[in-house]
Amino acid sequence: MEQNNSLTPFPQGLASPPGAMTPVMPIFSPTMRYNTGLTPQPVQNTNSLSLLEEQQRQQQQQQQQQQAASQQQGVMVGASGQTPQLYHSQVSTTTALPGNTPVHTTPLTPMTPITPATPASESSGILPQLQNIVSTVNLGCKLDLKTIALRARNAEYNPKRFAAVIMRIREPRTTALIFSSGKMVCTGAKSEVQSRLAARKYARVVQKLGFPAKFLDFKIQNMVGSCDVKFPIRLEGLVLTHQQFSSYEPELFPGLIYRMIKPRIVLLIFVSGKVVLTGAKVRAEIYEAFENIYPILKGFRKTT
Amino acid sequence: MASTSRGDSLPKVQCPNHPDAILVEDYRAGDMICPECGLVVGDRVIDVGSEWRTFTNEKATNDPSRVGDAQNPLLNGGDLSTMISKGTGAASFDEFGNSKYQNRRTMSSADRAMLNAFKEITTMSDRINLPRNIIDRTNNLFKQVYEQKSLKGRSNDAIASACLYIACRQEGVPRTFKEICAVSRISKKEIGRCFKLILKALETSVDLITTGDFMSRFCSNLGLPKQVQIAATYIARKAVELDLVPGRSPISVAAAAIYMASQASAEKKTQKEIGDIAGVADVTIRQSYRLIYPRAADLFPPDFKFDTPVDKLPQL
Repeated sequence: MEQNNSLTPFPQGLASPPGAMTPVMPIFSPTMRYNTGLTPQPVQNTNSLSLLEEQQRQQQQQQQQQQAASQQQGVMVGASGQTPQLYHSQVSTTTALPGNTPVHTTPLTPMTPITPATPASESSGILPQLQNIVSTVNLGCKLDLKTIALRARNAEYNPKRFAAVIMRIREPRTTALIFSSGKMVCTGAKSEVQSRLAARKYARVVQKLGFPAKFLDFKIQNMVGSCDVKFPIRLEGLVLTHQQFSSYEPELFPGLIYRMIKPRIVLLIFVSGKVVLTGAKVRAEIYEAFENIYPILKGFRKTT
Repeated sequence: MASTSRGDSLPKVQCPNHPDAILVEDYRAGDMICPECGLVVGDRVIDVGSEWRTFTNEKATNDPSRVGDAQNPLLNGGDLSTMISKGTGAASFDEFGNSKYQNRRTMSSADRAMLNAFKEITTMSDRINLPRNIIDRTNNLFKQVYEQKSLKGRSNDAIASACLYIACRQEGVPRTFKEICAVSRISKKEIGRCFKLILKALETSVDLITTGDFMSRFCSNLGLPKQVQIAATYIARKAVELDLVPGRSPISVAAAAIYMASQASAEKKTQKEIGDIAGVADVTIRQSYRLIYPRAADLFPPDFKFDTPVDKLPQL
């Protein structure tokens, strides 16, 4: 699992120096290093469940993108003391497939009325951390849940309660629901790469038990991220101005539920300044949503 | 040609020369006369008033006015169907004591669910003594939601309870979810879900609840005098302004404020009593009270008469 360690997480707490005239830039880009599982890769659909192959493939992709990123460094605008990835070019806020030329200076997406209006300003410097990824995969064959439950370790099966085997592995710490149709749901991973790896491990377990398991249609269904804006927020003010997007009912839930339309993300915003983002299919949506909401939250900062 | 001008959906009778003139009804001849030019616009208009005057004060079972029940055309969709009522007198029963004509079913199946819901709404509102305007607003909301059919799968009772909650909020006299739960068989979770769905379906929004909305009701249920109520309202408002209780539900803050005010006055109420009335757990009141206790001196209104001084307030 060394490829995960080689991915340096984006440094936290990175704020643009106050005087810097940085144009609007989403801090994520299609060529950033974390991006191995980010965009739908043209999956060389190896149905071979070799984990070693999987790791090798991801290392290769990583290397490719490192090369692309090093090309980027020449184009960087003076990044004062910021990490190399943070190049301030105007890229479109939606993700691009990695096959396209990395350096594209497309203009920003126009501010449609459904996007919360954001003034052009510096980025927040805060990166939401992914907490949970839910993915599904089709093993491509019918399974006998009873044999799986009896022979596999860390598997529980209670057909009266739920019609699936619940299996857990320790590395990456995930839980899988395996159904008799051969479909599987994998939850609990902290990154796309880990989710795919975990799903392959489960498929491997099933394969070792004697079923002709394949690895078809791996798809990430939901990603949950969280972060902290580090200041208290006036939720009452926010619900007044953004009525059509927000729902704040202190009797029902202490947080404000903000349903952003573009990208389609649900944010739970709390008085303490903590924000939970969910509903994303790709990592960029979480980042984009946070970049959209951050200026709005700054406007509702509690002054006392 | 005889034409009627009743009902909003029917075309209004107008004088052709003076469309804006309000027609004068001449009941003796059954005419509608234009006051501007004297043209008889509609003749043989059917009088829908009572046939004869009734003077009795007590409600006699048979009302000689044959116009029937006050119709609710807006809510029932203008249904004009009739039904045969239960017979009076001995002749309507056959030999075994059963009524001869039994068919009281097949009224109007489309509106049956709506009528049932209206009945349920009235029952619920009666339990907490809600005025007629809230009931009417609830009925209107239910009708809108029902016609939209976006919440068709949900239990009608749940939708009715949620409409009742929204109507109370819209009229400026919000009831807590727990109060609505107390008069409905639906769980708070389901009412909350339907509430959010209805707001989305009708594309309306409601104002945020404040601590002051509940003060008069909670205090009078506890039997606290007006001075204490005013003090509690002031305390709660100040606590929210000074941001001593961030993230706490306004109900909990109100309950803690009532506790503080009552403990400072002659009428001391326990946390349990307040918790029962407000629908708040007494540990919750304790938590909110701990947050406002340090600034207790600043929170009381300036003209409050202390039965127990601020430093002797209970500290939990």
